[in-house]
Amino acid sequence: MIRRLQSWEGFLFLVLIVIIAGNSWLSPNFLTVGNQINLFQLSIEKIIVALVMTFVIINAEIDLSVGSMMGLSACAFGWMFQQGVDPRLAIGICLLIGVAGGALNGWFIAKVGLPSLVVTLATLIGFRGLARVLVEDRGVSGFPDWFNALGQRGLIGPVPFALVAFVVLFVVLYVVLQHSGFGRKTYVIGTNREVADYAGIDTARHKLVIFIMSGAISAFAGLLFAARVGAVRGDVAQGFELDIITMVLLGGVSIFGGSGTLLGTLLAILIVLSLRNGMALMNITGHIQTGVVGLLLIASVLVPRIRWGMKARAAA
Amino acid sequence: MTAAVLALQDVSKSFGMTQALSGMSLSLLPGEVHAVVGENGAGKSTMIKIMTGVHQPTSGTILIDGQVVAIPGTKAARDLGVAAIYQEPMVFPDLDVAENIFISATDLGLLQRRGQLREKAHALIDRIGMRLDVDRIAAGLTLAEQQAVEIARALSQDVRVLIMDEPTASLSAHEAGELRRVARTLAAQGVAVVYISHRLEEIFEVADRVTVIRDGQHISTRPVGEVTPDSLIADMVGREVGNFYAKAPSQTRDEVLLSVRDLAVEEVFSGVSFDLHRGEVLCMAGLIGARRTDVALALFGIRPPTGGEVVYKGQPYRPRDAAQAIAAGIAYVSEDRRKLGLAMPMPIRANVTLATLGKVLSPLGLVRLGQERAVAESHRKRLNIRTPHVELAVAMLSGGNQQKVMLAKWLEMKPDLLIFDEPTRGIDVGAKAEVHDLIRDFVAAGGAALVISSDLPEVLALGDRILVMREGRQMGILPHEEASQEAVMRLATGQMQGAA
Repeated sequence: MIRRLQSWEGFLFLVLIVIIAGNSWLSPNFLTVGNQINLFQLSIEKIIVALVMTFVIINAEIDLSVGSMMGLSACAFGWMFQQGVDPRLAIGICLLIGVAGGALNGWFIAKVGLPSLVVTLATLIGFRGLARVLVEDRGVSGFPDWFNALGQRGLIGPVPFALVAFVVLFVVLYVVLQHSGFGRKTYVIGTNREVADYAGIDTARHKLVIFIMSGAISAFAGLLFAARVGAVRGDVAQGFELDIITMVLLGGVSIFGGSGTLLGTLLAILIVLSLRNGMALMNITGHIQTGVVGLLLIASVLVPRIRWGMKARAAA
Repeated sequence: MTAAVLALQDVSKSFGMTQALSGMSLSLLPGEVHAVVGENGAGKSTMIKIMTGVHQPTSGTILIDGQVVAIPGTKAARDLGVAAIYQEPMVFPDLDVAENIFISATDLGLLQRRGQLREKAHALIDRIGMRLDVDRIAAGLTLAEQQAVEIARALSQDVRVLIMDEPTASLSAHEAGELRRVARTLAAQGVAVVYISHRLEEIFEVADRVTVIRDGQHISTRPVGEVTPDSLIADMVGREVGNFYAKAPSQTRDEVLLSVRDLAVEEVFSGVSFDLHRGEVLCMAGLIGARRTDVALALFGIRPPTGGEVVYKGQPYRPRDAAQAIAAGIAYVSEDRRKLGLAMPMPIRANVTLATLGKVLSPLGLVRLGQERAVAESHRKRLNIRTPHVELAVAMLSGGNQQKVMLAKWLEMKPDLLIFDEPTRGIDVGAKAEVHDLIRDFVAAGGAALVISSDLPEVLALGDRILVMREGRQMGILPHEEASQEAVMRLATGQMQGAA
């Protein structure tokens, strides 16, 4: 237990407790079910994508195109709805777009061997351009009630579909990353791709699968966004990729790959959401909230270093 | 007797519970090459780090010119005239030789003239007695030349004690000789050179005195004329190692496991042909650049061959990637543990099952932790891997134990053909003997081993036959009875073409 607390996840857990305690003290409404659901709802699409981004970064890659893919999926849905396509069919097509977009990223990165930073920067621009072509800035709305209800109404009691999806995805992805052979390979490849190659692991295929996961989940999250807001525009989810990557790094996932856990990402998500919610309860504006999250990210990189330094000094 | 330039007196160092050095004493005389030998984990690195200010001793004193000093950091060590160079030299590949030499010089003016810099660099290179153009870009330098740059860099700061930590471990025989001459040249100029090496034979060539340390303690310091390889090994391991390099009887069977004809990878090597029988150890000897590793990588599917025929277990064999080679029962134990062999930050357990993960997965694809741990434990016992538990990160192990983990990974897949690339480079005498025993046990059980080694005594001790390569061509195959160090070297250096 004590060793647990000395880990980065343990540290995040303590920070989270402090924030929750502070928030509850500041506002009696903080711990109500309504506020807690609301806290998740406002960022639900980002935190869903953060789960799969954890795989991408542990695998020593990056996917900058997730925000644009969310936008593309949402806009493709809006456009098809306008053209009179059955929304159910449109949902399926949007998910396929996500798979295709992820496969495109993955093919260039895993098979051709281009750096993911460049490939996904290019598709960040490309997917967004496509989204804007499909739906110009006027926006599309008036989706069927059952679709909007997915994002707005409770599915299990007051808990909406998106939050249920997040919890289910977390459990499934947690088991996959921390306990399956696929997860083990994700860590090994992220630690040292050549070692994995020499051990007979098909590293190219593995990376391809991870980018397809990333594309598909992003497309799914884009649809959730459309359902929650009830409308789409060309700039849907623009810039989300940075918030998503921030949460993953804050969770202790190394930008160099090979280390971090999905539990860390979850704790970082909870910290960011509670912190923003708490600051909102204190009437602190969004821009300052963003600044605080930035400081937190720097602290997340700094604190382990300071702790290492203290350990080294204690050993010397 | 001249006074010691640097002396350690009764120096101890502990890290937490581990006692790395206890009561270590050593004195370095100006103008001597002082060899320090000991098994991995004996405390050599810790001692160097104390002399270069990286670590502080827990107790004991450091004297320079008879004065007690503290060396609180590497900068302080340099100011006192103590510098070290390592097996892997640190050069900046895009800068030229002169710029690399003066990379950390602080006394140069901002607008130091390029011409002056070159002149100074030239003088330093001259001083170590090597020929090297100071305008060359470092990226094109050989390892030995890069080390020369590092030495020159140390000399630019008035070094009095130069520590060379396994400087020749990755060098070819010729380059190593050159570096040993540099060590002698510097000693002749009054520098005290500390020379650390696992190659015992070179110590007799370069050193004036030799100190053996074991388990963090000083065992002996003697003039090199008073020791023999056997006495050094005995001091290092604390017992007599009888006929360490004796050849065990051949266990070769009739069945040919692998038959290679005119194997080639375009523009890399060609004309490699041999039969490998079950129970046989075939050693591949040659100098750096002989392309032996490339032959191994071709057979292992990493860089598929472009020409020739391979018959394996009676079937034509042409692997396109490592997965196919592994499926066929071929394992390749790489020479580069860090880069190609082990996931260093991951636990021993995960490394052991790396190539055979499928065997410890449940039908749902989940890792069966208990089973995986049992697999790792069984290898730990069988290979005598010295570790408190199998959850430890591989990076925390000594070189020899890392080597054993890498071996465990491949033995776990129960291969028929094991390809070893430099199986004992940089590991200590005790671990070396254990690895040799493992190879013999492996072939005795019916496997076949292809061993690439640059260590001639090892080649002669292990190989039932010895295939010698030179610059991408097979020079000949020597049966063990006809092999000697001289015969192998004649082929490897191209002074004689053997019967194929």
